[in-house]
Amino acid sequence: MKLKHALTISSASDAGLVRNFNEDSVVADDDFGLVVLADGMGGYKAGDVASGMATMIIGNELKEKFAKNVGKSNGVDLETAMLRDAVSRANQAIYHAAHNKTQFQGMGTTVVITLFRDNVVTIAHAGDSRLYRLRNDKLEQLTIDHSLLQEQVQLGLISAEDARVSHNRNLVTRALGVNQTIAVDIRQERALPGDIYLLCSDGLNDMVDDMDIELAMVAIKENIPLLVQQLVTMANDNGGHDNISVAAIKVEKPFPLRTGFFARWFGAAS
Amino acid sequence: MAKLVLSMNGSVLGNYFLEKERFTIGRKPVCDIHINDQGVSKEHAVILTVGNDQILEDMESTNGTHVNGQVVKRQILQNGDVIEVGRYRLKYVNQKAMPDMDFDKTLMIPAFDRTKLKVVGEDNVGEDTASISTAVSNARNVKTVFPLGVVRGIGGGVMGCEIELVRAITPLGKIGGSAIITRRPGGYFITHVAGKKYPIVNGKSIGTQPYALDNLDQIEVGMDKLQFHLQ
Repeated sequence: MKLKHALTISSASDAGLVRNFNEDSVVADDDFGLVVLADGMGGYKAGDVASGMATMIIGNELKEKFAKNVGKSNGVDLETAMLRDAVSRANQAIYHAAHNKTQFQGMGTTVVITLFRDNVVTIAHAGDSRLYRLRNDKLEQLTIDHSLLQEQVQLGLISAEDARVSHNRNLVTRALGVNQTIAVDIRQERALPGDIYLLCSDGLNDMVDDMDIELAMVAIKENIPLLVQQLVTMANDNGGHDNISVAAIKVEKPFPLRTGFFARWFGAAS
Repeated sequence: MAKLVLSMNGSVLGNYFLEKERFTIGRKPVCDIHINDQGVSKEHAVILTVGNDQILEDMESTNGTHVNGQVVKRQILQNGDVIEVGRYRLKYVNQKAMPDMDFDKTLMIPAFDRTKLKVVGEDNVGEDTASISTAVSNARNVKTVFPLGVVRGIGGGVMGCEIELVRAITPLGKIGGSAIITRRPGGYFITHVAGKKYPIVNGKSIGTQPYALDNLDQIEVGMDKLQFHLQ
């Protein structure tokens, strides 16, 4: 099932203005309706290895699995299981590399994944890379950061307003490659035509206010490649302190797995 | 390492390093900073250390706790903050706690041990917010040193309209073609977004690339004609 006709996908990754290396990685495949974005950390260039391993392993793993399931009418739970497996595989591979080679010691990576199938987007994430959605010109964050900052707010230690002046924005509480197992948050959402999904590393949302991200998405929704470039530009214009990775997916039309009467009927009903 | 410099009437009384997760200030002798003064409550304020943050919390003291002259209930401390407790001043010194300077490399830390920190107070319920905005305070607006730009409608549906280009992006046009004007550190730029017709500046099509606007440039986007002014 090719999704290119139903989804417009564009991505960009930039080192920013301060860092010498780009330790983020992005894989986007508009035939499979898959985007994987990872923000690596640790060691001299090792973060780049961790994020590269995560995007590659997760991408390949999912494509392989789908090749074996072509044409089958799957329940939504299959996607959840596949994503969980793929993230777990990547976690183990990074964990072993980090523990077997001194130059990779301490490396790890965040990850955020969107998988579009059968009018549903399955979302998985670990760490502080985010997924936003613009629907009816309103921006909404669909992932909750696994970060100390988020926990501080949830515990009531600081207010959401105070999060801007916190010094904990770089402390994540979950990352691939750090432990032998990884807890990954997975959720599913119905994807509607007109929706724009935005994956990003913290180099975007630490530098560009949510209000301005929304403004850009509303103003440039007719040109997804330009939107992605503009968001990177805005992060750099505001200082570009960190690597900036952005991927945007616009749902152009419904993408049911089954074709024929039922698909049309369900398509009309949704 | 973060520290507090205790002083009264300009003379320094001591230095205290914030080495504990819960650091107390008050009149009780068990407090980490013990101030024997009637203007100070028994347990006046605490400082919680969470990751890189030091959070000051007033413990419902009789005379209140001030930071830089403002009454505070709970606040994340920033390098150089001056805490006032009664007649005493505590200067917070932590080179790592500079606003907008904390873009250290990402680190993984274990999730929070919730049993270790006891927060006292009524409003510590925890916000039921799904998302928080982490953008640094200086990211709200591009730092611009040039004058504010405006576009004035001189033809089409926007005739007589005036749009101040305050935000990072201003959308223009709809029918036939649309564009954005972006406000950047180097000035204002116009870029084509969608539609067959590219924006025209001073009679020339700009194509797909951003075009730097000069004062009094005449712009056509779709059916609309506008003039750009730097105020």
